[in-house]
Amino acid sequence: MPLKEQLPDSNLKENLVTFTNLLRREGLPVSTTETMDALRALERVDLSSRADFKSALQATLVKNRRDQDYFERLFEYFFAPPEVRQRGEEKAAAYKEQAKEQMAQATRELQFKGESLQLSPAELAQYSTMTSEQRGRLQDFMQKTESGVNVEESFRPILETLVKSHLRYFRTGSSRERGAQPSGGSPEGAGSGSGQKAALSEIDIQAISASELPQAEQLLQKLSRKLAVQILRRRRSGPRSGPLDLRRSLRDNMRYGGIIFKLKHRPKRRSREQILLLCDVSASMKQYSTFVIHFMHGLREAVRDLSCFSFSDGLENMTPELKKKGNLQHLLDRVIRRSETWGGGTNLGRSLQVLLNKYPDLLNFRTTVIVVSDTKTIAIDQAAGELNKLKDRVRRIVWLNPLPPEQWSDFRSVEALGALTEMWPCSTISQLEAVLTGRLGNLPGGRNVSGGRGC
Amino acid sequence: MNISLPDLKKGFTEAGYICNESTALTVFLTLELNKPLLIEGAPGVGKTEMGKVLAEIMAADLIRLQCYEGLDETKALYEWNYQRQLLRIQMNRNLEEGQVREEDLFSEQYLLERPLLKAIQAQKRPVLLIDEVDKCDPEFEAFLFEVLSDFQVSIPELGTIKARQIPVVVLTSNNERELSDGLKRRCLYLYLDFPSVEDEVRIIKAKVPEAADRLAWEVARVVARLRQEGDLRKKPSIAETLDWVRALVALNRSRLDGKLVGETLNLVLKTRADQEYFRQEIGAPEIDSVLKQSKDGGETSQCR
Repeated sequence: MPLKEQLPDSNLKENLVTFTNLLRREGLPVSTTETMDALRALERVDLSSRADFKSALQATLVKNRRDQDYFERLFEYFFAPPEVRQRGEEKAAAYKEQAKEQMAQATRELQFKGESLQLSPAELAQYSTMTSEQRGRLQDFMQKTESGVNVEESFRPILETLVKSHLRYFRTGSSRERGAQPSGGSPEGAGSGSGQKAALSEIDIQAISASELPQAEQLLQKLSRKLAVQILRRRRSGPRSGPLDLRRSLRDNMRYGGIIFKLKHRPKRRSREQILLLCDVSASMKQYSTFVIHFMHGLREAVRDLSCFSFSDGLENMTPELKKKGNLQHLLDRVIRRSETWGGGTNLGRSLQVLLNKYPDLLNFRTTVIVVSDTKTIAIDQAAGELNKLKDRVRRIVWLNPLPPEQWSDFRSVEALGALTEMWPCSTISQLEAVLTGRLGNLPGGRNVSGGRGC
Repeated sequence: MNISLPDLKKGFTEAGYICNESTALTVFLTLELNKPLLIEGAPGVGKTEMGKVLAEIMAADLIRLQCYEGLDETKALYEWNYQRQLLRIQMNRNLEEGQVREEDLFSEQYLLERPLLKAIQAQKRPVLLIDEVDKCDPEFEAFLFEVLSDFQVSIPELGTIKARQIPVVVLTSNNERELSDGLKRRCLYLYLDFPSVEDEVRIIKAKVPEAADRLAWEVARVVARLRQEGDLRKKPSIAETLDWVRALVALNRSRLDGKLVGETLNLVLKTRADQEYFRQEIGAPEIDSVLKQSKDGGETSQCR
């Protein structure tokens, strides 16, 4: 059906406002001016042509390549022909019904002594998404616990904690998929939730639930964008940064009758800095590393030479995947799917050995290495030895450690590896921001903030 | 000068600028809404060319402002002609004609017009091309706001100068840094991606008509294959494709094969690392297979 019939003039403005609100909810910065521009543009195109209608909205409302995927998805959903929309709604209703049934089943299956465990809807939903084998393992564990000697009702809170911990472990791998369809609902809610976002930035990354992930990712995108702007501003050289520029000084002082009143200097030559990100993607670190990659992805535009490696029991170069265009979510999914290191054990020493031998051109006096890891590795002494070699080859090594600082003294690895690097606690989004903006200072060059936590 | 969408499309074709319907419509809306057009995309996809072609289609003057780090108002907007002002003061002193007045020295006579002021003061609607805006400093970007939203500039000694004609403004960016939301809000947005194989063949035929049809198809296929490689430091641009075709024509070649690609690789891959990458990861057999697939797919037969 042509759009003209779908959107009579009286509805056009209303539909457009609803659509822009949906875009805002997805995180696109659509202003009122842009909405007005879109309306003016629609007055000048053939509304019977769906392609023209879409192009007009795209040119006026979407000002970033990254956001075009969201726009495409929302446009196809919002301006779908009625029959397609009806099919989608039927599908969504069926999906809701199925989800409800799965939740009920999860409640039935996760019981202790005939009574359901106290689990949140997100945790029950997580259980539903697990494979039958994973569910079977968890049920088996619960049955064995229940049938143990002297296991009484007082054991319930302990079991609940254990089950929650299991569910959290499985969540990281399966919660990457963003909803295929937008949530719909009233547009009035758009723009709200800043308080929730602030709270999100303070909780442990590992504890962020599946339902909160999209919001947390949006938050990370904003932060990385902010940092990118700061980095670019810092790139500007100061007035006295370079040698005296006699020609410019004479020319500029013509206004003072040729008296040299203000000196002009040449801009200082900037060496191009390189960032090398080493992400521990062993089972315990998956979510932290995903978030750091997310953050660094946002910095790609500001930090030109960004290399990214994942490591667990081996090393893998993720840079080519990360450089490819497209939605970050899809990129991450692809990286995780293809990766051989994702979710394995940790052998930092071997991984660093591969890095030193295979990628020597990435390691020089301009390189800042950022390691994201909880330091839990086998062969600690070998790891420390290789890290020492790496330290001699690069400008600095910054270690982001998601372990709470009070636990650092419990691990020999923290002491051994922390002595060779600038180690900072980094278990929440706000800590990540603080470390990357404050501690790392000017990522692409300039002043070095000396010393880390110095464990 | 108002221009209709069909006329604009015709103009693009006549100027040899091959673009899709969506691009033409976005440019048309830019002209209709009197808004600046921000074009982003990889280097060499035709962003700057768009400004030049628009000037050609509209028979307008092209005023170009090339952005770079350190660009400021004195180079972009205006500067007082200090030498001339000093000469005037000196001449006045020598001739003993009395005191020179300040207003005399700060009049339009002593104003050096830079591209932005030139565009605003033009009698006929010009095309203002602000090239590589991502290379300028954020402060200058903020300064552009006044020009791009109100099409007026303020000169303290003269007051506010309003545009006689609202210029057609085209800003280009290579995405080297994120532009501010304020700038983006004032513009319509167009992302130019590398062309499809079919579009690239059309571009080759328009720009290098002496190239054989089969050669055009084969070059376009190979270039598209190279652009798929995420590890290449610099993907081949349209300009490089055209240079390559011209070189092959000069060598009297009407077909392409893996060996020839290897021999002429420096025309299309411009860094040593990329050339090494090609030899190690892609190689002549892969190119032969791409060319064979395109032949089997009947693309070469379509254009005979």
